[in-house]
Amino acid sequence: MPRITRDEVERIAALARLSLAPDEAERMTAQLGALLDYVALLGELDTRDIEPTSHPVPIATPLREDRAGTPLAPELALANAPESEGGAFRVPPIIEGGE
Amino acid sequence: MSAPREDRRVDVHPRYDAVIGLEVHVHLKTESKLFCDAPVVYGAPPNHAVTPVCLALPGVLPVLNRRAVELAVRAGLATRCTVHPRSVFARKNYFYPDLPKGYQISQYEEPLCTGGWIEIQVGEGERAQTHRIGITRIHMEEDAGKSVHDESLAGAEGSLVDLNRAGVSLLEIVSEPDLRSPAEAGAYLRTLRSILRTIEVSDADLEKGQFRCDANVSLRPKGAAAFGTRGEIKNLNSFRFVEGAIAHEIERQARILDEGGRVVQSTLLYDPVAGRTRVMRVKENADDYRYFPDPDLVPLVIPSDEIERIRLALPELPDQKRIRLEAEYGVTAYEARLLTSSRALADFFEAVARGHGTPKTAANWILRDVLQILKEADAEPEAIRLEPGRFVTLLRLVDQGRVTARSAREILPELLLRGGDPEAVVRERGLEAVSDSGLLEAAADEVIAAHPDSAARMRAGEEKILNFLMGQVMKRTGGKASPATVREILARKLRG
Amino acid sequence: MTPADRSTPEPLGSLAELGAALAARRIGSRELVDAALARASALEPVLHAFVGLRAERARAEAAESDARRARGEARGPLDGIPIVLKDNLVQAGEPTTCCSRILEGFVSPYDASVTRRLRDAGAVVIGRTNLDEFAMGSSTENSARGPSRNPWDPGRTPGGSSGGSAAVVAAGVVPLALGSDTGGSIRQPAACCGVVGLKPTYGRVSRYGLVAFASSLDQIGPFTRTAADCAVALAAIAGHDPHDSTSLPEPVPRYAEALTGDVSGLRLGLPREYFVAEGVEPGVLACVREAAAELERAGAKLVEVSLPHTKYAIATYYLIATAEASSNLARYDGVRYGRRAAHPKDLHDLYHRTRSEGFGAEVKRRILLGTYVLSAGYYDAYYRKAQQVRTLLRRDFERAFEGCDALLTPTAPETAFRLGEKASDPLRMYLSDVYTVSTNLAGIPGLSLPCGLADGLPVGLQLLGRPLDEATLLRIADAFQRRTDHHLRRPPEPR
Ligand SMILES: [Mg+2]
Ligand SMILES: [Zn+2]
Repeated sequence: MPRITRDEVERIAALARLSLAPDEAERMTAQLGALLDYVALLGELDTRDIEPTSHPVPIATPLREDRAGTPLAPELALANAPESEGGAFRVPPIIEGGE
Repeated sequence: MSAPREDRRVDVHPRYDAVIGLEVHVHLKTESKLFCDAPVVYGAPPNHAVTPVCLALPGVLPVLNRRAVELAVRAGLATRCTVHPRSVFARKNYFYPDLPKGYQISQYEEPLCTGGWIEIQVGEGERAQTHRIGITRIHMEEDAGKSVHDESLAGAEGSLVDLNRAGVSLLEIVSEPDLRSPAEAGAYLRTLRSILRTIEVSDADLEKGQFRCDANVSLRPKGAAAFGTRGEIKNLNSFRFVEGAIAHEIERQARILDEGGRVVQSTLLYDPVAGRTRVMRVKENADDYRYFPDPDLVPLVIPSDEIERIRLALPELPDQKRIRLEAEYGVTAYEARLLTSSRALADFFEAVARGHGTPKTAANWILRDVLQILKEADAEPEAIRLEPGRFVTLLRLVDQGRVTARSAREILPELLLRGGDPEAVVRERGLEAVSDSGLLEAAADEVIAAHPDSAARMRAGEEKILNFLMGQVMKRTGGKASPATVREILARKLRG
Repeated sequence: MTPADRSTPEPLGSLAELGAALAARRIGSRELVDAALARASALEPVLHAFVGLRAERARAEAAESDARRARGEARGPLDGIPIVLKDNLVQAGEPTTCCSRILEGFVSPYDASVTRRLRDAGAVVIGRTNLDEFAMGSSTENSARGPSRNPWDPGRTPGGSSGGSAAVVAAGVVPLALGSDTGGSIRQPAACCGVVGLKPTYGRVSRYGLVAFASSLDQIGPFTRTAADCAVALAAIAGHDPHDSTSLPEPVPRYAEALTGDVSGLRLGLPREYFVAEGVEPGVLACVREAAAELERAGAKLVEVSLPHTKYAIATYYLIATAEASSNLARYDGVRYGRRAAHPKDLHDLYHRTRSEGFGAEVKRRILLGTYVLSAGYYDAYYRKAQQVRTLLRRDFERAFEGCDALLTPTAPETAFRLGEKASDPLRMYLSDVYTVSTNLAGIPGLSLPCGLADGLPVGLQLLGRPLDEATLLRIADAFQRRTDHHLRRPPEPR
């Protein structure tokens, strides 16, 4: 696999909603490159017929009865909000194409 | 496997054929949300129906709602899908203020249901056609909250986020691209909605956002096999808008193609006021949802005997009912389809038909008068308050000539929507048909005296004048005269 | 940093000792909690182990415990005992920051299931301890609040990520602390600080209320001074929880009854791949070999086993852990709680600045790596591949346990390293988890206990067991502690 480029790092950062300063992007590109070189080690293994493990527990998902509980008191729901208004969380404008 | 694809020609445009697929999102009828016990409510003040789980506070975990699973299985079986004993919840990762976790729990590579179909009918009467529309998949997922952009609330400077809806259980039902016209899309949605309501999977109330539709539309030159590039119209919340939006999208794409242009894959919004679709954003390859199995939820396993149990408990589906009504009550295919458009209406019909004994009469009254009354009142058949037995009583009064059909129609709207005893209403309003021959003889004599010319023409054998004279007698008796008796009296007096 | 003065209160005893003293009314919970708080405050300038103390509420709860006991309604071995929580376990009405700027100011409206269980058992939470931001690290150097220090040598790390919890148990501030372990974050600091640390079987202890790092690997567990105390703590927090879909619906054995002191006939597997000379400090290897010999003298049978895919474990772990973390950390967006960047001009700006300012370098690095390995075109090559290798690693253990009842290994390849020593080289830091990450990938239980000193620093012995067989690990650890005094060694009192 070709080494990760700075452009790719910036694309990934955008997906993750992170901004990287130029020197930070440089450093991350080098560090991620080294980590990806290291994990390329897995390429040695032939895993064609191996089932992937997503969960270490061999159980099926438990099901909850459909009963409504008491919701969080509205003041508690909003208590941690950096900004709220009229019982809702306030966010800055969503610019079309920006987000 | 998907349902067999019909290769059909539908004329929506002189030069192009349209290929349409629909994605429907339906709220499941559960008391609590999909992954937590927050109540499912509509119209509550913002953030009054949230728990730490649907607020995505640090440390919370999802636990799946049993009822939601059962309803999803029911929907799969009713649309003849394969219901998979094992399915997997995945995370769909993207950022948006109404998506508290930064990912939506959905099903991706291993959905609950795949490969079903439903049958739709387009056109009426003689020209009605039925088509089989494939269902690609049905999967379970959680709804997002709501961002209110209303300037009066949020100001021009931002949006307000309400998470009451975040985490409500949804089914996403994806059709094959088997639809060929706006009318077919409308018929598909109406049929699907009727099925989901019949099996009590969802109330599917469009106004509450319980039934929402995205439409994928592409054009190809007539006769061509390959699909064109599609536009995806988002968030259509009325059947009329779906049909309008698709029609306009067909026009928009046709214009581009006619000018030698290329349709760009894009997401569109429909503006029902302007009657046009508007490109919201062009799809680049920027959408990278990084789906992966949700490590907080192990696979959903439904034993096959459980699936069978749900299958056996399914109520009769609309098209099964339609076939039965045709056979059992001798109604036409068209009448049966109308009657089965809602479970409440079909139940009402069956009860009236059985109680009255002449299904044809019951069908006529229900399809003509009852549907008209509901339409005028903007009400669903569930709003009928008249007990079927009392409707039968009213029909008997008409049969027996004790009330004229005209009087019955006059009192039906109120009876239908409020309930009541037809005999009592007839008595109170003095609507008993007049069959007292002395009274009617006198009325007939007065009419004959007042219209000597007409009487003469009748005597001369001009039969069609009888209707006019009858109308005059009825008028004098306030519509309560038994038409049969009046006819008999007039005929006797004027035919000699 | 000011050295603690001469009036530093005495270290507290073990859970068993304190429990006995409370039961015999030789001491009250209120006095114990006061002592713990006093010692915590006195040592804080040296250890930097706490994120916050809850003195007032803790004293009130201690008084309630004393009142219960006076009425003859004491709830069991934890009633009235001062404990601490790692600052990634939530408690209603208390802040939780995960030592990240992005959670500044967040106060949880709900209790983690473990918090609830411990409080129901009467334990008194006196404070919250330091960790690497979001538990990502092996030294606490990634904490937004700065690193904690090892009581054995304040120039060295207590290990991580649960470094604060390990340090306060080692320093005798409290007899019990909770931590979390995603790739060794309980066992490695336990080894570095010379205490007992247990990572239970995945699903044994509910994760509800543990702020997620990597959901399929995270597990909560206790730090104590003795294996017997560990058994008591595990009994209190283990068991099925309807709020966690990955919680195992299995009954909880009576762990205390497993502590027979008898290991005769037990087969202990020594994985060949864990005893290779390169990378392991000779002092560590010597202590671990001596511990094995001691257990052999106690009647256990030593067998050599092989875990052939060991060399792939770190790579597998970092692919899976970062992928899950990239998604788990998406909720920190400045909308509902935590820190929000000042004056965002639009939503895009809010997201980018909040997250860029709020997360530290290590967290960003892992989010980026995880986002990359899940992204279109790379999923199969990295994420899916890692999940397949995870299957191979799990099978390695299944096969090894066919021939033995538990595995015995070093916990970490070296003793506590100097602060700053590895901070500039992420890969080197990651490699210090070489003996612990496979356990999380396989979901099996692992316990670290002190087995001697190398150059004056504690060495950890790691015991690994079959799924849900914590009892055997506790039995071996307890038998070892009955025959040796490594667990009784105390770090020097700071002066
Ligand atoms: Mg979709
Ligand atoms: Zn969807």
